[in-house]
Amino acid sequence: MFRDLWHRMRAVFRRKLVETELDEELQFHLERQVEKYVQGGLSKEEAWRRARMEFGGVELAKEECRDARGVNFIESVLQDVRYGVRTLGKNPGFTAVAVLTLALGVGANTAVFTVVNGVLLRPMPFPEAERLVLVSLTPRGGPFEWQPGVSDRDYLTFREQDHAFDRIASFTLQATANLTSAGDPVQIPVAYVTTDFFPTLRTNPAIGRGFLAEEEEPGRDSVVVLSNELWKERFGADPGILGKTVRLDGISRSVVGVMPPGFAFPNARVWVPLKIRVDEHNSFTRPVVGRLKPGVTPQQARAELETFAERQPLGPGESKRDRRPQIIPLKDLLVANIRPSLLVFTGAVAFVLLIACANVANLFLARAAGRGHEMALRSTLGAGRGRLVRQLLTESTLLSLAGGACGILIAFWSVPALLALAPAGKVPRMEMIRMDGWVLAYTFGISVITGIVFGLAPAFHATRRDVRETLSHAGRGVTASHERMRGALTVSEIALALVLLTGAGLLLKSFLRLRTVNPGFSPHTVLTITVDLPDSTYRTAAQMRAFHARTLAELARLPGVPASGAVNLLPLGGFLTMGTFQVEGGRRPPGFMVDKPCISPGYFRAMGIQLLRGREFTETDNETAPGVVVVSQSVARTLWTGQDPVGKRISMEDEPKPEDWLTVVGVVDDVRQRGLATGSDPAIYQPYLQISSAFFLSHMTFVVKTASRPESVAAGIRTVLRSVDKNQPISIASMDTLIAATTAELRFQARLLTAFAMVSLVLTIVGIYGVLAYSVAQRTREIGVRMALGAQGADVLGMLLRKALVLTLAGIFLGGASALALTRVLEKFLFEVKPADLSTYAAVAVILTLSALAACYVPARRGMRVDPMVALRYE
Amino acid sequence: MPRIDLPQGTLDLLILRTLALEPQHGWAISERIQQISSDVLRVQQGSLYPALHRLERRGWIKARWGTSENNRRAKYYELTKTGRKQLEVEKDAWDKLTVAVAQVLGTAQG
Repeated sequence: MFRDLWHRMRAVFRRKLVETELDEELQFHLERQVEKYVQGGLSKEEAWRRARMEFGGVELAKEECRDARGVNFIESVLQDVRYGVRTLGKNPGFTAVAVLTLALGVGANTAVFTVVNGVLLRPMPFPEAERLVLVSLTPRGGPFEWQPGVSDRDYLTFREQDHAFDRIASFTLQATANLTSAGDPVQIPVAYVTTDFFPTLRTNPAIGRGFLAEEEEPGRDSVVVLSNELWKERFGADPGILGKTVRLDGISRSVVGVMPPGFAFPNARVWVPLKIRVDEHNSFTRPVVGRLKPGVTPQQARAELETFAERQPLGPGESKRDRRPQIIPLKDLLVANIRPSLLVFTGAVAFVLLIACANVANLFLARAAGRGHEMALRSTLGAGRGRLVRQLLTESTLLSLAGGACGILIAFWSVPALLALAPAGKVPRMEMIRMDGWVLAYTFGISVITGIVFGLAPAFHATRRDVRETLSHAGRGVTASHERMRGALTVSEIALALVLLTGAGLLLKSFLRLRTVNPGFSPHTVLTITVDLPDSTYRTAAQMRAFHARTLAELARLPGVPASGAVNLLPLGGFLTMGTFQVEGGRRPPGFMVDKPCISPGYFRAMGIQLLRGREFTETDNETAPGVVVVSQSVARTLWTGQDPVGKRISMEDEPKPEDWLTVVGVVDDVRQRGLATGSDPAIYQPYLQISSAFFLSHMTFVVKTASRPESVAAGIRTVLRSVDKNQPISIASMDTLIAATTAELRFQARLLTAFAMVSLVLTIVGIYGVLAYSVAQRTREIGVRMALGAQGADVLGMLLRKALVLTLAGIFLGGASALALTRVLEKFLFEVKPADLSTYAAVAVILTLSALAACYVPARRGMRVDPMVALRYE
Repeated sequence: MPRIDLPQGTLDLLILRTLALEPQHGWAISERIQQISSDVLRVQQGSLYPALHRLERRGWIKARWGTSENNRRAKYYELTKTGRKQLEVEKDAWDKLTVAVAQVLGTAQG
């Protein structure tokens, strides 16, 4: 073992000495042999000739000795690297094109992997995060199925019974609160958490403490933990923050802790204690996180949860099958939605790299033809084929490593650009995204693999040629198989590009379709202001109505505002309340549920929602007046086909008393409430002045139609709101922006995939160009002969075009077949476009064909200008 | 008499056997093998040296520079202790192999 190592080291570090010794040893042998023959009577020359012949190749023997010493490997790699660097340096143009191509491919992959690594792969920033899981027992098939959670009732029972978990904790997602005691009022994300929350995550506040068990009790629960970032931004990193009072939604809470930097789980900026209590009527379902006991596997926890679920009493109309016990990795709570998109990007960007590989392999092949002579010579001098292949692979790996290094730079710049393109707030765990050791290792890995992938085929190809033939042809001979291989590479490039272009085309088409969807209202020049009135200040519905009425009156008085109104659930605002109702003298079709927005008079005009029949609400539709509703067209059509809906009566109560009946006074157009892609939602509108439940009034969006420039009105709106309640955070958004936000995800996917597709198209054009230019160069003589025999430029052009078209068509067929199979993964991102959309395929095929023809231009011109005399003399 | 090429792998055994007598340099080894085998075996001289280097690396033989019979500097190889053991092992294996092969051939004829 040590002797072996010593031998290796000696040969590496004392290379000169070892080489001299080897030379001397072999020389001695030959001389001794010659001596013997001379003594036997041969002439000196004849003796040398025979000795050499008997010995075989001296260089080959040396090479085998080096191999036998086992040191040759490291030694020859170093030699290959030196030689490779020299060779590449001699062809700066070739090297630059290859490195740039690879840098694009590797860079794009590194950039996407940086995001994937941060968002999907890096562990949650908690100690032993792999033991943290989500416990979920949600109803199957219900509207909440996609959201893991446990109902409060089940949570309390499970917490008593479970044996698999050290601790479990429940918390809220996506709650917000108005922070009013630190600078301008602002709405911040808040998480209500059970007092076990921080201990379960094993993360303690950096300053102060977490929640005590008794702090979930009313009266003791007015405490809060701040995020480090909020503490710095809003409280100037005040070291004496503990014990100070913060007002959240009008409630004073004393600060007991500040979390370490970066802690924001679950996307919150403050944490407030949550008491789980079981209420007779409602049962909240919230996410639940548990820390598995040491040695307990997620499978065991799941088995326990299944047993638990089976033992639970069933609610009315519930069956056992309705419950879905699941143990889910904690990370999924944040990343489950974005995972499919990221995987699609990863796949797409891998295609770009493959195309880059094919391109560089083509370049290598072209160059290998020119190096045939060199290869033949080295092989005659005793270099084995494996040795030559290794030499060429070393060169390709050097290239790809250089490409990888440039790729890291490209990724370094493009990751921020990528994130800037991404829809705001749609990329979770953004703070985890950075170039760490894993990213660098990944880049290194794909660079090496890339180098081998694009180097292998050309290397075997270049070393395969028959030595003697090549030498006698002075290295100019070109084999047909060589050209076949380049053709095959080009075809695969075209096929890969076609798949990417098709994917991008499908997404782009979906996006354009989605943009032209009529939402049922006209969003242009409409500003929106959403308020959340805290219970602590606005205790009754009447107080809330008073706030709305005052604000509406003031807004109406603003100059440049032709119409204004309010609605509690803004279309495309991400909220939806579906509900049932009763029809007087009729029956609601089973399963027919409606959206029930509460609106102010003027809302329809401000939003441009068309009134089709009857009237809209007025100020007199208040609590003393008879109850009225306006229904949307699809409600009218469903309930009263062929009849006049105006004057019909419905009720929102399950068992209406006489005073609960509401009269239909008007019919309006349908509106897309949930999203542009999901279709129109039937709605029954009620005047907010007739609503007595605070639940439907606390969240309200004011919509202001502006006459000309919306921004000139914005200042007035701020003044109005501040004058009505100075503690209200004000954020103004245009309706156009809100709509754009709902299509942002699709736009992002379409843009990114288009960018990848464009890169691949450019690489492919370069690839086609390379093959044709090479083909022209190789056939200069043939073209010369043809022209000398009377062929015209047009014939040469035709020959090249045929070649290009054959390659392109082959690529299109191959790519079309793959695209049909692969674009199915995009299905759930598409809108009103089938994955096998014929027009997209046709358009992509046309684009590729035109690009291929464009790539012919330069080589064709060169071919047509071949001077027969020059070409013939050249040979 | 036609010479036969060495079967694969037997060169190592022959080298070890030759060196068991006395330390030798490469040329003498090849000469000795040919003499002992009465010129029947032909050692491809080019392949002798890689084999020597391989055996040296394995530690079965060691090399030192000495003076040759014609007063030249030459690289002499000699058997090490492990090399001597290895020679026994390989000789044993070889004997078994030849006996076995002879038996098979004999059976096939009979």
